[in-house]
Amino acid sequence: MRLSWLDKMRGVVTVRLRGNGLESLMNAAAADGLQLLSLRRTSLDEALCGLRLQDLFRIRPYLRRTGCRLRITGRHGLPFMLAKLERRKFFVAGMLLFFVGMYLLSSLVWRVEVKGNDKISADLVLQAAREEGIYPFQWSFRLQPFDAVSKRMATKLPGTAWVGVQKHGTKVTIELVETTTPDAKPLMSPRHLIASEDAVVTHIMAETGRPVVRKNTRVKKGDVLISGLLGDEEKEETVVADGTVKGLVWHEYNIVSPLTRTVKVYTGERKVQWFAVVGGRALQVSGFGSAPFGQYEKVRQEQQAAWRGISLPFGRMKQSIMETRLEKRPVTKEEARADGLLQARADILTKAGEDAIIRDENLLHEKTENGKVYMKVLFEVEQSITTEMPLVHIQGE
Amino acid sequence: MRRFGQKLRKWTAEVLDLPQDVVFDLPRMTMIGDRQLYIENHRGVLHFSPEKLRLALPSGELEVLGQELVIRGIWTEEVFIEGIIVQVQING
Repeated sequence: MRLSWLDKMRGVVTVRLRGNGLESLMNAAAADGLQLLSLRRTSLDEALCGLRLQDLFRIRPYLRRTGCRLRITGRHGLPFMLAKLERRKFFVAGMLLFFVGMYLLSSLVWRVEVKGNDKISADLVLQAAREEGIYPFQWSFRLQPFDAVSKRMATKLPGTAWVGVQKHGTKVTIELVETTTPDAKPLMSPRHLIASEDAVVTHIMAETGRPVVRKNTRVKKGDVLISGLLGDEEKEETVVADGTVKGLVWHEYNIVSPLTRTVKVYTGERKVQWFAVVGGRALQVSGFGSAPFGQYEKVRQEQQAAWRGISLPFGRMKQSIMETRLEKRPVTKEEARADGLLQARADILTKAGEDAIIRDENLLHEKTENGKVYMKVLFEVEQSITTEMPLVHIQGE
Repeated sequence: MRRFGQKLRKWTAEVLDLPQDVVFDLPRMTMIGDRQLYIENHRGVLHFSPEKLRLALPSGELEVLGQELVIRGIWTEEVFIEGIIVQVQING
């Protein structure tokens, strides 16, 4: 029996009619506007048909008049479904509870996010938001209008130019635009620039302060190069002296360089281990056991499988354990000397700074003794020679 | 008088070209292949079984023969029959 949705809403029963006057029942029912749906005869005195629920109560007088009996065999539609649900109270309660829970949980604020903060910490912003009533597990309907909230937060948070609050579903996003302020200058007390080494000045340039020495002046360690004192005895002012002073400095080095050199060499003995590599993990396949050598080096070679230019996530790895030996090799005098000088130069550059230039080097003395070369070398280096000396102004002096 | 009325009706129907069923109270049947039959202007069910349906008409009776006949719907003046219809016969 096909039913329209309207019939389903109202409820339809299938009934079995029994009796001799079935035709007269049909006629009488039809005349009164009762509708018998899908009427079919099953035997001489029996018929099956669908009946709307509202018609079921109206058919009784006709049944009595025609001597027919009615038996309900099936119930379809919403009214019967509701009746069934009434019996399953906890099922219905659970269904309702689900929807209520869903609604309640979706009307909570689950996450508060801060965007665009660089200098201001997110905790500070979240704290301010909390004072305005925006925090996780807050009810959405208890949130105040965002335009007023964002205005108040902008005044509350120092260093913000604009604050925007938005809500997307269960997430509240707080966006900040920070004010750009210039970096504060480091505070410095008045000072002189003095010589850090004994030197001959080659270059002096004062940015602030008064240069005291000139080019080609010989200065001793501690001499004032750029003075932070301006003016004469009566009118005195102190400034932060600044500038660059370069000078020639002599460094004397005692270099000892051995006539032998220790070198690591492979003996030729080796052991090969194979690994299968799958997805960044290696599984050893062959060459088990610890290395049979005292000193050794491991060399790894990886090969990844590829198919038509696409690298696949598996491959193999070869690990060679190669025995090594330390060997002492004789070095010529010239080589030993060059080595020593090279080390000394590197040492000077690390001590005097990157911009230092080695102008000259003089080998003063050289001797070979006990398998070593002893040298005394004088380096002439042009380097920055300034260091700071604070000016302590004593009152009443 | 009655005869005269009938004559007048017939004449009006001819002159105005009206459908006969409206004028003479005749049944109108709509049949879709051998599976559905819609009968208007009947006067009640006389007999109903899966093989045979007899309907009273304003004059005479209508007999529908077939298999697995089902009355899909019945109203005061209309009947809607479904099934395998083999024969429709009017006994004046």
